[in-house]
Amino acid sequence: MRRLLLVLLGLALAGGLLAWRVPPRTDLAGFLPAGRTPATTFLLRELQSGAATTLLLAGIEGAPRAELARLSRETAAGLRASGRFVFVGDGSLGLSEEEQAFLFRYRYLLSPETTPEAFTAAALRPKLEALLDGLRSAASPLLARFAFADPTGAFLGLAREWLGENRIRTIDGAWFAPGETRALLVARGQGAGLDSAAQGEAIHAFRAAFAAAHPGEARLLLSGPGVFAAAAAAQIRHDVELITLASAALLAGFLYWRFRSLRLLGLVAVPLGAATVAGYAAAAAAFGSVHAIALGFGMTMLGVTVDYPILLLTLRRRDERLSDAARRIWPRLALAAVAAASGLLAMLGSGLPGLVQLGVFAGAGLLTAACVTRWVLPWLAPDGAGGAARPLPGWVSRPLAALSGRRRWALGAAVLALLVLGATGGPGWQRDLAALSPVPAAAQALDAELRGQLGAPDVRSLFVIGPATEDEVLRRSEALGAAIRPLRERGLLSGLDLPSRYLPSPGLQQRRAASLPAPAPLAAAMHAAAEGLPFRPTAFAPFLAAVEESRHLPPLDAAGFAQGAPTLAARLSPLLGRHGSEVWGIAPAQGVSDPQSLEDAAAGLPDSLGVTFLDVKLETERLLAGYVTATLRWALAGGVLVVGLLVAGLRSLRTGIGVAAPILGAILAVLAVLAVTGQAISLFHLAALLLLAGLAIDYSLFLAISGRDRGSRPGMQRAGTSRSSEDDRPGAVLTCAMSTLLTFGLLALCDTPVLRGIGTTVAAGVTAAFLLASALAAPGEPERG
Amino acid sequence: MRRRFLLAAPALLATPAGAAEDQLTRLMHALAAVPSRRAVFTEQRSLPELDVPLSAEGTLAWTAPTTLEKHTTTPFEERIAVTGGRLLYERPDRGISQEISLDEQPEIQALVEAIRGTLAGDLAALRRHYRVAFQGQAESDWRMILLPLASRLREAVQRVLLSGQGATVTGVDTEGNGNVTHMRIRPV
Repeated sequence: MRRLLLVLLGLALAGGLLAWRVPPRTDLAGFLPAGRTPATTFLLRELQSGAATTLLLAGIEGAPRAELARLSRETAAGLRASGRFVFVGDGSLGLSEEEQAFLFRYRYLLSPETTPEAFTAAALRPKLEALLDGLRSAASPLLARFAFADPTGAFLGLAREWLGENRIRTIDGAWFAPGETRALLVARGQGAGLDSAAQGEAIHAFRAAFAAAHPGEARLLLSGPGVFAAAAAAQIRHDVELITLASAALLAGFLYWRFRSLRLLGLVAVPLGAATVAGYAAAAAAFGSVHAIALGFGMTMLGVTVDYPILLLTLRRRDERLSDAARRIWPRLALAAVAAASGLLAMLGSGLPGLVQLGVFAGAGLLTAACVTRWVLPWLAPDGAGGAARPLPGWVSRPLAALSGRRRWALGAAVLALLVLGATGGPGWQRDLAALSPVPAAAQALDAELRGQLGAPDVRSLFVIGPATEDEVLRRSEALGAAIRPLRERGLLSGLDLPSRYLPSPGLQQRRAASLPAPAPLAAAMHAAAEGLPFRPTAFAPFLAAVEESRHLPPLDAAGFAQGAPTLAARLSPLLGRHGSEVWGIAPAQGVSDPQSLEDAAAGLPDSLGVTFLDVKLETERLLAGYVTATLRWALAGGVLVVGLLVAGLRSLRTGIGVAAPILGAILAVLAVLAVTGQAISLFHLAALLLLAGLAIDYSLFLAISGRDRGSRPGMQRAGTSRSSEDDRPGAVLTCAMSTLLTFGLLALCDTPVLRGIGTTVAAGVTAAFLLASALAAPGEPERG
Repeated sequence: MRRRFLLAAPALLATPAGAAEDQLTRLMHALAAVPSRRAVFTEQRSLPELDVPLSAEGTLAWTAPTTLEKHTTTPFEERIAVTGGRLLYERPDRGISQEISLDEQPEIQALVEAIRGTLAGDLAALRRHYRVAFQGQAESDWRMILLPLASRLREAVQRVLLSGQGATVTGVDTEGNGNVTHMRIRPV
C-alpha cells in the first residue's frame, strides 16, 4: 500500500512538474496545418497572425437610435484616447487636417493622373473650364478651398478613390446597420494577431470604452479574430477541464461500484497516470509544446489504458500471484497494446500537426501503460487488489448470456449497417475547415453578419505578391493591376485592392516627379490654357509653387506614409505583411463569383509578375483533402498491420480474422450511425475510428480468445479456478467497455466540434464493438475447438 | 465676439442684448408661421482669383418643416433639394444626379441649416451650428449674423448674413476666405 501511494505521489509530482515547465497551449496556431507552398504557408500564417487578425468588429444595440449614436461616438472617442488602436472607424471617418495637408503635399506623386501630358495647355484648358463651371455651381465654397492650388483635381480624385467606397449609412456621426437598430464600429488593434495578450488587452480596452460611455440597457456585440481566439481558447479550456474532471470522477465512481476497493482504484490509476505523463513528455519532447486539444483528447484516449489493469486484476485466477497472471495474459495484452498503437499510425501519417501530436501522445501512453501493467503492477500488489469484482446484476448478465454465440445476430447487424450505408450513400466528407473550428456557430454567424453590414467581407480570393523588398512588392502590385484588367473585363472579378492603390512604388513616384514641368513651361502652359477665361494672372500661383515643390519631393515609403497619413496607412497595412526582412503584398479580389475560373485564368498570368493566386476556401479544401488522403492511406496500412499482427500473434489466419470481424462490424455500424445522424466525416472522425479499432481489439481478443485458450490448452488450468475467472470474462470486458463509454460519452457533450465528433464516433463504436464481440465470442467455442 | 461684431456693423442700431434676444424670438415665431414660400433669386459671387463676379439666378421653394429647394436656371440648370437628412443634387447638362446624406457631410449640413433653420424659425437648429447675433426689429428691417461653430466649416465659410423684412427673407450673404456670395431674394 505504501509503495502504491509513493508511486501515485511520484506520478502526480512528475505530471505537475511537466505541466509547469511546458504548459499546454490553447491558441490554435500550433494545431492547424502549415501550407504546402511558400505562398500558402504565408497565407495561413497571415490568417492566423497577420494584421487582419487584429480587427475588432462591434455592434451596439438595445437602445433608441440617438442613444446608439451617442454610445458609438463616445466609445470611439474612448478607443482613440486609449492609444491601443491604430485605426478606429465609427462614421466620423475622415482625414484629419494634418493628414489632409500631408496627402495634399504629396498629391502629384500619389495621383495616377500625373503624366507629362496632364500639364500641357491642351490638357489644362478643359480642367480650367470645369473649374470655372464648378465655381458657378453650388459646390463653389468647397471647391474654392483647393481648386487654385490643384486645378487638375488630383487631390479630390485621390480622396474619392480612397474614401468614396464607403456605403454604410451614417446617422448623427455613427454608422448604422440596415434597420437602424444597430450602431457599427470597427477598430484595428496594435501589435501582431498572434500576441494573445495584446489581443486580450485590446478587447478589454474596447469593453472599457463602451462601459465608460454609460451604456445603460444597450449591449455591445464584439467580434473579430481576436475575440474568436479568446472564445476558442476559453471553450477548449472549459471542455478539457470538464472532460478531465468529470470523466475521472465518473470512472472512479463506476470502478468503485464494480469492485468496492479503493486499492483497486489506486492500482488502475498507476498505468493511466504513467501513460499520461509519458505521453505528455513524449509530445513535449517531439514538438516543444503540447496543445490543449491534444492533451484533452489524448488523456481521454488514454482512458483506454484502464482496460489493461482491469483485465489483469479481474482475469487473475484465485490464488494466482499477480506476476504469474501478468505473464500469462501478457501475449494478449501486448498484442492488444501494439495493435492499438499501430492503429494510431494513421494519425502520425496524416501530417496534420494537431493529429500528429495526438498520435505521439496516445501511442507513447498506450505502450507505457501496457508495460507498467505488466511489470509495475505485480510489484505494487503481488497478491492482486484484494476483492474480486462483484457479480454483474442479473438484468445485465442475462441478456449478455443470451447474446453470446448469436453469430447470426452479429451478421444481421453488419448486413443492416451495410444496407443503411447503401441506402444513404454513406456519410459525407467534411471539406469545410470552419466546421472544425472550436469557435461556437453563433459567434461565427454574428461575425459574418457584422462583416456584411460593415462591408468588410472575409478575405477569400486574393493574390499574394512576394516575398521581396517593399519597393519590389509595390512595383509588382502595379504590374498586377495592369495585368488583371483583361480578367476584370471578362467579369471574373470586379476589383482588386492593391497595396499600390494607396502607395505607389518609389520608382513610379520618381517617374511622376520627373514628368512634372519646370516652372517656366508650366507658367506658359497655364497662361495659354487660361486664355479668355476670367482668372486673374496670380490666381494659380499656389499651383505653380506646389508643382515645383513636388518635383523635388523624395518618394514616400510605407513608414513615411504611416507617419503622415495614419488613417490611410491603416488601410494599407493589412495589404503589406512583414516577416523579418521579407515583405509580402496581399491583394484581395472583390466580386468573385467563380473562384475556380478565376484561379484558372490567374494561372495564365505571366510568371514574371511574381504573384500567386490563392483562394482561401479552395486551398484549405485541397489541404484538407490532402490530409484525408494521407490519413486514409496510413489507416489502410495500419489496418493491414493490425490484422497481420493479430494473425502472427495468434498464429492462425482464421482466429486472426475472427478477432478482426467485430472491429470491422463496429466500424460499419459507426459509419451507418454517422450517415443516419447526418454527420459529415472529418479527419477527426477518421482518427476516432482508428481509436475505436484499437479498443475493439481489446474486447475481441479477450472475449473471443479466452474461450479458445481454455479449449486448446486445458492442461494449463485447474477446472475450479478456471471456471470462476472465465465467468468474469464478459464482466471484465463489460467493465472496460463501460469505462470507455463513460469517458467518450462525455466527449460527445463537448461544445468543441472536433471533440464532439470523436465522442459520438467512439461511444457508438464501443457499444457496437462490445455487442458484436459478445455475440461472436461464444460459449460454444470450446466445444468446436 | 459680439462686441467686435457690433463695431463691424456701426450702421445698425445697437440693441441691448436682452432686447435683441427678444426680437430674435419674435422674428423666429413670425418666420415659423409661414408654412410655404416661393421666391426668385439672383446671386453674385466674387472671388479674389477672378476678374469678374459670377452671377446666377433661379427659384427657391420652401415647404415646412424640412423641404428646401434651390433651382438655378442661369447660367446652367442646377437643382438642390433637401428633405430631412437627404440632399439631392442634380446637374442635368452633366447627367449628374447624386443623393448625399447630410449626416455624412457636416459642412454642407451646416450651410443648409443656416437657411432651413431660419425659414423654419428654428433657433435651436441654428444655434447647433452657429453663434447667432441679431440686429434690427423683428417686424421691420433685420439682420441676422451666423458665425460657424465648427472649425472645419470656418475654414471655408467665416460668416453667413441673413437679412429681411418682417417674415420675409430678402438676402443671404456668405463670406469665406475673401469669397463673397450675395443672394437677393424676391418673393413671388
